[in-house]
Amino acid sequence: MFISQISVFLENARGTLREMTKLLAENGVDIMALSIADTSNFGIVRLIIRENCIDNALKHLKNAGFMAKKNDVLCVGIPNKPGALDHILAIIEEADVSIEYIYSFNYNVDGNALFVLRLMDSEKVIELFKENNIKMYSQEDINRL
Amino acid sequence: MNSALKEHKIYDPQMECMNRDELRELQSKRLRETVKLEYENVPLYRSRMDAKGVKPEDIRTVDDLRLLPFSEKTDLRDEFPFGLFAAPKSQIVRIQGSSGTTGKPIVAGYTQSDVEIWTEMVARAITAAGGGKDDIIQVSYGYGLFTGGLGAHQGATKVGAMVLPMSSGNTQRQILMMKELGVTMLCCTPSYATFLGETIREMGIKPEELKLKSGCFGAEPWSEEMRAHLEELLGIDACDIYGLTEIAGPGVAFECLEKKGMHVNEDHVIVEIIDPVTGEPLPYGESGELVFSTITKTGMPMLRYRTHDICKLDASPCKCGRTHVRMERITGRTDDMLVISGVNVFPSQIESVLVGLNGVSPHYMLVVDRVKSRDKLEVQVELTEEMFSDTVAEIEKLRDDIKEKIKSVVGINTKIQLVPPKSIPRSEGKAKRIIDKRNI
Repeated sequence: MFISQISVFLENARGTLREMTKLLAENGVDIMALSIADTSNFGIVRLIIRENCIDNALKHLKNAGFMAKKNDVLCVGIPNKPGALDHILAIIEEADVSIEYIYSFNYNVDGNALFVLRLMDSEKVIELFKENNIKMYSQEDINRL
Repeated sequence: MNSALKEHKIYDPQMECMNRDELRELQSKRLRETVKLEYENVPLYRSRMDAKGVKPEDIRTVDDLRLLPFSEKTDLRDEFPFGLFAAPKSQIVRIQGSSGTTGKPIVAGYTQSDVEIWTEMVARAITAAGGGKDDIIQVSYGYGLFTGGLGAHQGATKVGAMVLPMSSGNTQRQILMMKELGVTMLCCTPSYATFLGETIREMGIKPEELKLKSGCFGAEPWSEEMRAHLEELLGIDACDIYGLTEIAGPGVAFECLEKKGMHVNEDHVIVEIIDPVTGEPLPYGESGELVFSTITKTGMPMLRYRTHDICKLDASPCKCGRTHVRMERITGRTDDMLVISGVNVFPSQIESVLVGLNGVSPHYMLVVDRVKSRDKLEVQVELTEEMFSDTVAEIEKLRDDIKEKIKSVVGINTKIQLVPPKSIPRSEGKAKRIIDKRNI
């Protein structure tokens, strides 16, 4: 259910995102999911990569002067059909939990679109997901993609 | 010997602990000699005294100092190189120059006796910071025309310590030597000491693995918060040292381990605080511009030299036993002072806010610009691991906290720009903290 995410701080300047992707490309890192939070001042890039690349990616990012950090996020499968995302959000709403952010993978698994969820209170939602048979994915599942 | 004197080592107790009445008499005598020397040998100063209608015999005591004209840094530029020397060139044994990076150079000439006086001032400073013949002292100020390196070197040699003349730069090697030789004292700028401390941490070396116990840090203004940070980082007592090439070099004033202001070597210089606008002397305790008169120098004596440094003087007795007046931290410079939308802003105020916030880096840059005739101050702050989060809300909250704190201390609105770690240039000499883009 929890998978590792890497967050990278980016200055709001032309070329900084490319600088980061170039570094990851040179080190053979496959970006499985990506989202960018942009403000007028700065951006935060969030990445999902395979577990065996994480330490190496963090090391190279830090050496190149990027601020990068690892944290846990929830990974759920959302069926590729109308109303599926809405169903998930209804559950989170029922739990009265706020969503910090949500973004999807570049992969489809078992007819599901994979989504990354960052919630204020994950535990509560996980229980509800289980009751509602919402498929959640582990780091091992992701590594196999 | 009383207990206070026991814990505080004093290089020259006779001079440094002299009764203030006797000190005043000594100062008056030495001032008379210096005024005579200056009047007879330095045409610029003689013409200034003549223009004010002051003769050397009008100056009898320290109280008459206010009759004398001021001298300025521009005098050293205008009279470059030898115009202000009071001794013949054959008696000058040393030239030192300004560490400034802008404008024309300035140089100061020292006679043999001047070098000895300066050396003794630094020896007093090192002793006051706990240094002596059993210490290994690493000098990481730049060696050369800049007085930092040679000044600390001479003083450390004078107290009989084992001196390691590293000069500035090559940080990895500095740390290697510090560790391998078991260096006990460090002399460099506070910003370089911080950089050394951070690099030591990054290299995985713990402060306990080093033998460092104290340091004399100067050549740039720093804050009480930066001291706390530095002391924690290196596990040392960090003492402030003050000086300027025009007066001697580092050691004009120095802190003892009480760390309650820097003792001015008053048997060699007379210190005043003046109102920077009117030039009128201010009483002890009031904040104003520091003015020094040398009273023992013979190569290039300076009378009423305006430093443009802003601070206060404190004549209350110090627990260390020294009687010499203490100058508080330099809170700014009359020429470093930023006037932003009519508000006086000193970089040190911003620094104290940043260092006081948990997880915030002490490395910053102030960028001033004028947009549509309005002044804007941007504070660039380096992001640290503790500050960074994967959510925008947390980072923005921290940014707003910094902005609020600065507003409450300085009184103006700033734009806080978070920048990646290590992106603000580290300096091995004086840190550059201001970029002023305004075309006024």
